[in-house]
Amino acid sequence: MEFDFGPVITYFPTLLKGLGVGFLVALVVAFMSIVGGLLVAVISIYINKVVSWPLRFFIWLFMTTPLLLQLYFLYFGLGEWILIPAILVGILGLGFHYMAYNADIFIATIKSVSDGQYEASRSLGFGHGATIFYIIVPQAFIRAIPQLGNNMILMVKDTSVLSAIGVAELVYASQYAISVTFRPFEFFIVIATLYYLINIFMELGQAWLERQTAYRR
Amino acid sequence: MSTEHQTETPMVEIRNVHKRFGDLEVLKGINLTVNRGKIISIIGPSGSGKSTLLRSVNQLEVIDQGEILLDGIQVNRPDKKGLAFERHINHIRQNMGMVFQHFNLFPHLSTIDNVTLAPRKLKGMDKNVARELGMELLDRVGLAEKAEVFPNWLSGGQKQRVAIARALAMQPKVMLFDEATSALDPELVEEVNRVMRGLAEEHMTMLIVTHEMGFARDVSDWAMFMDGGVVVEEGTPDKLFSDPDQERTRNFLSKHLGDHH
Repeated sequence: MEFDFGPVITYFPTLLKGLGVGFLVALVVAFMSIVGGLLVAVISIYINKVVSWPLRFFIWLFMTTPLLLQLYFLYFGLGEWILIPAILVGILGLGFHYMAYNADIFIATIKSVSDGQYEASRSLGFGHGATIFYIIVPQAFIRAIPQLGNNMILMVKDTSVLSAIGVAELVYASQYAISVTFRPFEFFIVIATLYYLINIFMELGQAWLERQTAYRR
Repeated sequence: MSTEHQTETPMVEIRNVHKRFGDLEVLKGINLTVNRGKIISIIGPSGSGKSTLLRSVNQLEVIDQGEILLDGIQVNRPDKKGLAFERHINHIRQNMGMVFQHFNLFPHLSTIDNVTLAPRKLKGMDKNVARELGMELLDRVGLAEKAEVFPNWLSGGQKQRVAIARALAMQPKVMLFDEATSALDPELVEEVNRVMRGLAEEHMTMLIVTHEMGFARDVSDWAMFMDGGVVVEEGTPDKLFSDPDQERTRNFLSKHLGDHH
């Protein structure tokens, strides 16, 4: 068997384009799932049950069904009535999926901040909302960093699933290149290496962030 | 109370305060007046209700019956509900500093930010002005050089001194100390006591719940012994600690003076 990485080099710009699309999706999803997850957690803990019950149902729904199924449902299922661009479906699907996982983390870390913190803030004259904003949430966020980092690493790998609904990210781009060059082995090796490198970078970033915040816990 | 107390103006008035947790009545009609610039110590065994009483002064425990006044303004307001009570109590609490047994410093903020957060956010104090005030207060508790350090890097005694500075930053009318030295290693107690003595010399009104009998005796103008949710006995510290009238007070003191001397 002979290896020929020539086609990979020829189609590298295509792969880079796919990488760019994946990166863009991951960036938007990271922002959406972290900010949204935090909001869901705060609302479900602090606001009354009428509001929090549907949110908990939402978390449960997205955590107990496969991501691929969620994407198919949003793209093809809802597609019967409304055609949403694939990339938007991808962002919403991944975003809600990881929003649910992140909310689960934030719920745990918010609850882990001691009552003493809440009381100290209230005793200074801060209201309930200001205490959550200035005291509880920042501490919960710092405590969530290790698990958030893990989730975001999983999420970046999961952007590959969006190829199933035609989002032109890295795997989708390579499938196109393979279909023209018939060199799947070489392409998949290179792509796997790319994912591996991204992973390493993210883990380094996470470790750095944990070091930066360790003494603030 | 002594005539000396009656002629002065009251800062904190506690009138017939009752508090229950479920079936357990932990405060059974407590009365106490703390005059401006005076220091009152509350002693008693665990479960006597002394911490609950202190916490009810700023309504961290909402009382079931009775009245609490700060500088003539009613603190507990059973007539106000929800947001109206929130607004009322947030404003009142800005005038009362509280120091907790477990310090409760905000670990995500540097020492100086722990001190200046409340004046900046609640009084809208300018950042630089707040910093100046914060440094002054940290200097007063002997920790100016720790301004940029985070609480996790401080000893227990240092944490508690920062917590006192944090409470003072709102320029409160009264300071509440809830067993401020109980969680400290013995060798760290004195540095916190020294700061509290300094406040006493500046005539800060203080309500102190403590297990430190020697300190309570030294620093207080008035001392109160609580047990089982009632005030068993109160008087000048000399009288209460040396020559108590009640058997229960004597029993308690004989156990606790033994611990510390």
